[in-house]
Amino acid sequence: MIVADDSVLLREGVTRLLENAGHEVVGQAADREELMRKARAHKPDVAIIDIRMPPTHTDEGLQAARTIRKELPGTGVVVLSAYIEEAYALELLGENPAGVGYLLKDRVWDGDRFAEAVQRVAEGGSALDPEVVSHILGRRRVPEPLQELTPRERDVLGLMAEGRSNQAIADALVISGRAVEKHVASIFTKLHLPPAPEDHRRVLAVLAFLRS
Amino acid sequence: MRGLRRIQVGIAVAAVGLGVGVLLAVAGGQHNIHRGAYAALALGIGWGFTGTGLYAWRRWPASNIGPLMIAVGFAGLVKTLAFSNDSVIFTIGSLGEVLIYALLIHLLLSFPSGQLDSRVDRILVFIAYVNTIAVQFAAFVFTDPTAQGCSQCPANPLLIDHADGAAGVIGAAQLDIAVAVLGAVVAILYRRWRDSIPSQRRAFAPVLAVGSLTFLLLMSSLIVEQAGLPAGIDDGLTLALFGSLACLPFAFMVGLVRSRFSQAEAVSSLVARLGGGGGRGALRDALAEALGDPSVELAYWVPSQDAYVDADGQPMRVDPAPKGKIATAIEHEGRRVAAIVHDAGLAEEGDLVHAVGAAAALTLENERLDAELRAHVEQLRASRARIVTAGYAERRRLERDLHDGAQQRLMALGINLRMARNQVESDAQQAAALIDASLEELKKATAELRELARGIHPAALDGGLAAALGGLAGRSPVPVDLVEAPHERLPAPVESAVYFVVAEALTNVARYARANTASVTVARNNDHVHVQISDDGIGGADPARGSGLRGLSDRVAALDGRLELTSADGDGTTVRARIPCG
Repeated sequence: MIVADDSVLLREGVTRLLENAGHEVVGQAADREELMRKARAHKPDVAIIDIRMPPTHTDEGLQAARTIRKELPGTGVVVLSAYIEEAYALELLGENPAGVGYLLKDRVWDGDRFAEAVQRVAEGGSALDPEVVSHILGRRRVPEPLQELTPRERDVLGLMAEGRSNQAIADALVISGRAVEKHVASIFTKLHLPPAPEDHRRVLAVLAFLRS
Repeated sequence: MRGLRRIQVGIAVAAVGLGVGVLLAVAGGQHNIHRGAYAALALGIGWGFTGTGLYAWRRWPASNIGPLMIAVGFAGLVKTLAFSNDSVIFTIGSLGEVLIYALLIHLLLSFPSGQLDSRVDRILVFIAYVNTIAVQFAAFVFTDPTAQGCSQCPANPLLIDHADGAAGVIGAAQLDIAVAVLGAVVAILYRRWRDSIPSQRRAFAPVLAVGSLTFLLLMSSLIVEQAGLPAGIDDGLTLALFGSLACLPFAFMVGLVRSRFSQAEAVSSLVARLGGGGGRGALRDALAEALGDPSVELAYWVPSQDAYVDADGQPMRVDPAPKGKIATAIEHEGRRVAAIVHDAGLAEEGDLVHAVGAAAALTLENERLDAELRAHVEQLRASRARIVTAGYAERRRLERDLHDGAQQRLMALGINLRMARNQVESDAQQAAALIDASLEELKKATAELRELARGIHPAALDGGLAAALGGLAGRSPVPVDLVEAPHERLPAPVESAVYFVVAEALTNVARYARANTASVTVARNNDHVHVQISDDGIGGADPARGSGLRGLSDRVAALDGRLELTSADGDGTTVRARIPCG
């Protein structure tokens, strides 16, 4: 994988954390140009990108992530941001959340959980920061397509959006795997998702969730 | 003044005496059939010009117009002496016979200012004098009047040799030159009349009209003389010319009276119009009409900004005035109120501008207050916009500083702690090293946050200005002498502004001034705080350069204060601020 951040301190720190977790970091980049050059050269499984990089320090990382997803289908992107902006999350995951992650920067402290999220994205899954999920779920007015869902189903959908597997959801909610499967099936029905392979429907459910 | 008065009386007596002499000379002469008419006209010309000249001289003692008119008068009398039968008097008259025309050209071209303004004017006048003095003399010494069919003329005592050819050649050249010069002069006078503004035109039209007529008649009579047409036409033209000359001084008189009269009229109609009120611009229009100059502009004095502004409160350039314009300052009760920016042509009518300005002074003062208010509003609007922009930039800078500084350190700190936690069981020594590194990061993050917080609101100010300024002076890399600082508390916004003025000025001293020492004085005087920061550095600071000083200036202006920068090259830099704190 590649780590891109304009701060050496953070690049090194994230690299060491990932290496400790058993990942191989093939390159570091300080700005968008370097990131694109190294991504094209190494075609890594995943690129971990700080959203703010030179020269304008606004959303260079986001643009780079979109370019990588378009050019290198085999490379997942995890965008790190100091603040959570739903608009950024939607822009990044909106078209297709497969192979995309959007996490708050301090998640890197969680060590194993962070490494897992990176792993998931590398394998073509997604990772949405729980903060974004709780933001959307925490709105006073529950948005239209989600009104049909029971509170429990909403919890399950939120965890799905974070990128968790059925087993992980079962563990998090302390219910059986069977119960999770039932909830998931019910969510698909209520959101009118057409029959399709399970993975694809999960992605569609997450999209519905994001766009709500 | 008394000496001048005596001279003028002397001139008047001499003119009368010379006039009587002329009468006697003409009466005794026999060589001209029209001598009675000539004598009368000569007295009209001589006394008329001398009298009006004396009047003009007394009215405008600084102008050459009066003396020039008197000279024309005397030349008119001298000319007539040529009718005398006495050989010496005849010679004086003959030599001075045409000098009057050169003087007239000089007078009209320098009217009304009394100065020959252009090079062309000066050249024409010079040629005219040469032609009427030197060339006249040259022609005369070759002329024996008795041999020219004037059997009754007296002898020419200066006669070298009667040489018809020489006299003829010189005389013809003299005539050609005279015709050319007169043509040029008439053209210039016409152009001058055409280009003058209406108020000038009213006063100068009679002078320029009769003057031009005189010159045209003179030209015609010269051409007729050259062409050798019958004597009847010649005599008729000469009589007409003398008549026109005799009218000329009265044309001057009319012009003078008219300009005085029109001035009084202008002022009284202005006063009437001012009483009638009217909206913005009415005063300008009234003044434009009174001065006869449609291009008049008004500039109002704003003492607090030490500058002129227009009616909208926008800064206005008055000194130096735009090309072709002159600004006349108007005072009311001893204070500068406004400036009337008018056509440079009105400069000769300074009296009129001042009279009109004085009549309008009170109204000008009222409008000045209006304009001053608008200028203040305009200034506030601009500085408020700058404060908002600066506030936005400042917040952005703070966010950037936070993001790049303390936040990055805290992120790294978190990663270190995470790794230490991972290794605390497997490698306690490595974990301890990571925790030490984390503490180091924490210290740096805390220091950065402290600096940032000070930039937002210096905590030291809570202990009073003196303590906070002491801290600033202590932190400055250039030694700072804190000469004076108030120990009593001032309003918080004032203390904060003073603190930031000193902080920014000392930062600039450290960055740019290459100074050895600096001194800071903050003194409270009645209801103002005076701040002064001086250094002994290289000077040459440009207030327009940095946004720092501008921001400070706005900060101070927001409290109704003023900030000044003095920074001559090689002479150190001094920043002064004066902030009300009543």
